[in-house]
Amino acid sequence: MSGGASTQPRRLASGGAIDRSQPLEFRFDGRTYTGYAGDTLASALVANGVRLLGRSFKYHRPRGLLCAGPEEPNALVELRDGARREPNTRATVVELFGGLEAASQNRWPSLAFDVLAVNRWLGPVFAAGFYYKTFMWPAAFWERLYEPLIRRAAGLGRIATGPDPDGYEKSYAFCDLLVIGAGPAGLAAALTAGRAGLRVLLIDEDFLPGGRLNAERQLLDGRPAREWAAAAVAELGSLPSVRLMRRTTVVGCYDHGVYGALERVHDHRPAPPPFEPRQRLWRIACRHCVLASGAYERPLLFGDNDLPGVMLAGAVRTYANRFAALAGRRAVVFADNDEGAVTAADLVAAGADVVALVDPRTAPGATGVERIAGVVRRAIGGQGLRGVEILAADGSVRRIACDLLAMSGGWSPALQLTAHHGGRPRWDDRLGTFLPGTLPAGMMVAGAANGDFTTEAALAAGVRAALAAAAALGHAAAPVALPSVSPESVGHRPLWEVAGTRGKCFVDFQHDVAVTDIELAEREGYRAAEHMKRYTTLGMATDQGKTASLNGLAVLAARTGRSIAATGTTTFRPPVVPVAIGALAGTHRGRDFRPLRLTAAHAWAVEQGAIFMETGPWLRAQYFPRPGEPTWLESVTREVNATRQAVGVCDVSTLGKIDLQGPDACEFLERLYVNGWRTLAVGRARYGLMLREDGMVMDDGTVSRLGEHRYLITTTTANAVAVFQHMQWCHQVLWPGLDVQFVSVSDQWAQYSVAGPRARELLRAVVAAEHDLSNEAFPYMAAGTLRLRDDTVARLFRISFSGEHAYEIAVPARAGERVVRMLMAAGAPLGVTPYGLEALGAMRIEKGHVAGNELSGQTTAHDLGFGKMLSTKKDYIGAVLARRAALTDPDRPRLVGLAPVGRGDRFGAGAHLVRRGVEPVAAADEGYVTSAAFSPTLGHWIGLGLLRRGPERHGERVVAFDPLRGRRTELEVRDPVFVDPAGERLRV
Amino acid sequence: MRIPCPHCGLRGHEEFAYLGDATLRRPDPAAPDAERAFAEYAYRRDNPAGRHRELWYHAQGCGTWLVVERDTLTHEIGRVTEAREQGGS
Amino acid sequence: MSEGSNSVLIPGRTGRADGRAGLLVRECQGLALASLVARRGRVREAAEAARAAFGVALPLVARAAGNERVTFVWAGPGQWLVETSDARGDIEAFLAPALGSLAAICDQSDSRVVIELAGTAVRDVLAKGVPIDLHPRAFGVGDVALTAAHHVGLHLRQVSEEPRYRISVVRSYFGSFRHWLESSAAEFGCEVLAPLGAG
Repeated sequence: MSGGASTQPRRLASGGAIDRSQPLEFRFDGRTYTGYAGDTLASALVANGVRLLGRSFKYHRPRGLLCAGPEEPNALVELRDGARREPNTRATVVELFGGLEAASQNRWPSLAFDVLAVNRWLGPVFAAGFYYKTFMWPAAFWERLYEPLIRRAAGLGRIATGPDPDGYEKSYAFCDLLVIGAGPAGLAAALTAGRAGLRVLLIDEDFLPGGRLNAERQLLDGRPAREWAAAAVAELGSLPSVRLMRRTTVVGCYDHGVYGALERVHDHRPAPPPFEPRQRLWRIACRHCVLASGAYERPLLFGDNDLPGVMLAGAVRTYANRFAALAGRRAVVFADNDEGAVTAADLVAAGADVVALVDPRTAPGATGVERIAGVVRRAIGGQGLRGVEILAADGSVRRIACDLLAMSGGWSPALQLTAHHGGRPRWDDRLGTFLPGTLPAGMMVAGAANGDFTTEAALAAGVRAALAAAAALGHAAAPVALPSVSPESVGHRPLWEVAGTRGKCFVDFQHDVAVTDIELAEREGYRAAEHMKRYTTLGMATDQGKTASLNGLAVLAARTGRSIAATGTTTFRPPVVPVAIGALAGTHRGRDFRPLRLTAAHAWAVEQGAIFMETGPWLRAQYFPRPGEPTWLESVTREVNATRQAVGVCDVSTLGKIDLQGPDACEFLERLYVNGWRTLAVGRARYGLMLREDGMVMDDGTVSRLGEHRYLITTTTANAVAVFQHMQWCHQVLWPGLDVQFVSVSDQWAQYSVAGPRARELLRAVVAAEHDLSNEAFPYMAAGTLRLRDDTVARLFRISFSGEHAYEIAVPARAGERVVRMLMAAGAPLGVTPYGLEALGAMRIEKGHVAGNELSGQTTAHDLGFGKMLSTKKDYIGAVLARRAALTDPDRPRLVGLAPVGRGDRFGAGAHLVRRGVEPVAAADEGYVTSAAFSPTLGHWIGLGLLRRGPERHGERVVAFDPLRGRRTELEVRDPVFVDPAGERLRV
Repeated sequence: MRIPCPHCGLRGHEEFAYLGDATLRRPDPAAPDAERAFAEYAYRRDNPAGRHRELWYHAQGCGTWLVVERDTLTHEIGRVTEAREQGGS
Repeated sequence: MSEGSNSVLIPGRTGRADGRAGLLVRECQGLALASLVARRGRVREAAEAARAAFGVALPLVARAAGNERVTFVWAGPGQWLVETSDARGDIEAFLAPALGSLAAICDQSDSRVVIELAGTAVRDVLAKGVPIDLHPRAFGVGDVALTAAHHVGLHLRQVSEEPRYRISVVRSYFGSFRHWLESSAAEFGCEVLAPLGAG
């Protein structure tokens, strides 16, 4: 269709901040149009005479543009297509680009002919509270009928179903002064602070900074306001300590000067360039903030005020003055303030025929325009405005034909950010609006956001705020010389609503909430602002009621007979504008959801074909499949058998390791662990158990004494960080008098378990010849430092998790991969096999060793069979509460071994244990299976569990009830140690 | 929130781990009512509206346990000191 | 280089390919590292002992201090990370004569990967994850910070004005950190240079 583009019939011949040398083709609902660089999608549609942009949420009423900025409730469009399709985008903030594809929403089959517009005649059904009243029963109808119907009938755009192809990221920024909004107040503040050398961050949501300076025909120092803004922006660009961010919206105000902002980095392009994000979420920490966010104009409330062609007066001026686009040729202006005359004059200047200026006040008119004291009672038209019905002050009623009604009910400060800390806006009777109340610490408000509705006042307020910030920061700042401003008049007497209207009178355009809905809410008792909001859903659409809230409160106030001040506002919460989930996630997607820790020998495990699993942040080898092994079970069985019959090697580097030193190191251990350490000799290791202060088991591991005052502590992989933090707490908060020093060495050492009857032979082959590894010289629970044959320094610990004759050998991490290869090469003649977490788990269950499943934070030392370890000779963390009767009660679920009566039966962790012949209900629950594995050594499934009075019930049969997997297995209760109960293998 | 660590300067609260009331003292395990005292110490917490002295651990920073005075209503932060200066139990 | 490895940096260019790379990265090899934690109440003595033995006192605030032999990087109150290329294979033995009675010494040479970052976009890249203010008015040469980027702990310091930063990251997280760094630098172009101090 290129070449067939329309010719922008409503584009003015000259003027505007658009680049006529850069025409841009775009498509809306399949038709091709042309706009210019500098347009928004909305302004380009205005220039092309497109008035009907969408259908409303509930009633499917035709809607056009109401605004020209981010507060737009009506003109929501879908942008782009496919995986980049983005619904509910405000056409007023979409910067036009060549090739832009946009579509109207919420209509079927087409915008002009919408079947569901019949909802307009079902109005009573969709009145306030309809969700609560209409679809209550029968319950089954909700899911099958009502909800799909409502979703089709009342809804917004369609989300993309494919994964988002674009990138999002986050960034931090810091500044002395954050200035939010680059209108007159913001520019004046930024100039003042920037010239004084403050680090200034000036943020504006528009692509063209300047705010209303770009939209008015005002003169500053005799030049168009836009030129002053451009000069200010240019100067700011030359100041080294100032940064201006365009296309960025501050969405939230958080504690201690932290603000969140969304930068639409490349939303104004079809797709981001390579390596660049589409959007970036900023976390800004500032010392002071000047909020210069401007104000939103309010619609007037009269019948059918939502017809396409009824538009806010300020928006009409923006389209005419900034974008050189005329919103209508034959206009009526309806305002309760002096900007009605400004609007009429601007429209005349733009070449429109302004047929009437309607104002309920006796106020000055505009040259050449008929002034009617009165109100517009009703807008007339079908799919667009054709005329208005005017009720004059003298009681006469007139109908005037027009295609544009520019309305203004005055301005409401954009004060959301002032209220994110709970500050309540305060009512200002003189201005007829709410102004910022108690401000977040460090924030000042300037310009229209604070009720300074003239440019002159806004400029001055910006300077004042910046001077105050500079003074507070100890910077000397001089006020900038402000330009002279052409005369302004902002007289205003709020009309709030037109009495005796006919037709629907909308307050919240996006959620289709009309005056009658608020009246209904009031009649039904929802008289508080928050209740009315929830009952009618006023202000709960994606625009959060920016144009609707105050009008709604005014209507509620009138119906309840209270003042607006007494009615109060509803609560403001971040974000100020919708933020995509993708932007909140940033780069934390998919593989990058969180960082992964890899062990030193990871590349070797990959080479070995390992299947990996995530354990906490770590990626660990689960098992190493070999050809001809159809499932993990065959691989794990082979790994266990090879280890128990010859020797296996397992990467256990992920264990937490803490180097503990100092004269009081032993005393510190005494207080941390339940068992004693005074008898641990240098060169020996011991198992240790730690409790929390409430008496529950916290963690277990080994402690090796490396020297007189030096120990190495190991923790479980899962609790490594928590145990270190706990030790810091104990040392710094409880016992700062102890002279101990400890640091994490988890990443310093790569550690490998070498287990199996041939473990010593294997180590003999890699350890330097001078070290004696005999049972006498290096017995079970020995620990020492030695050298490998290649001179690598290593630590050797004769400890065993598998129950086999085993060692753990630790080497500096950079040597890890080399050493594991050395172990595998040296072990080849012995039949060495690498084994993973599954085999490790199977062997520790065979040996009855507890691990994470049993150390659940809900088990006591008694529960796990460690009761005898609890020292009675000393105090330690958890000592007192571990002795509580309830924690040593033999009736508690305690550790047992479990084996299926039918040896071929399988059971799993999580199954509940109940007595045979008893109905498996919660009341009959006697415990559960904590761990289960196939035991290659025994040839059947085995498990560990916590069973009420378990140690007294060895030999009894119970049932494992597993409704999740649909299993019921009869089990024999037995001792938890299945293999080598005497521990002979450990000590050979 | 931003917490002024006495060693690292102002840092975002996400660098810290929280542990609540800093005024609790570990009871004497040898006292006759030790079990009751420890139960209070382990489980009972006030939930004050207003000024609160609480423990924060600068986990992603210098590893110091801090006593932070914070107003639970406004998040205003007052004095921040090292927990070890309290002298332990 | 796959993401699934902790193999350190391999020289080459990633991200935007045209123009000068905005981020220059190099690994610092051949360094011995140790943590040094002062015994109770011995911080000032330890600082003076370091000055006597190495000509550099231990910094008592978040700063680094060093000479051609050794650098002491503040690592928390009463704690330092010692960097040296002069330890002849045993940094604990290197430090013990001067400091062994005043501080716990623990070899950390393998626990961290140390890299240097420079380039015109280095601050913009770091701002995507490092939550502290690196503006010259807030953080200068010799300043040290313990913090985290993208949930990975960092020990960071500025080593020269241009600016150049030295960062140490625990080894097991380095693969993830490198991936974050290269992704963050992609829009500016990322150039890995030959390692510093190799061989």
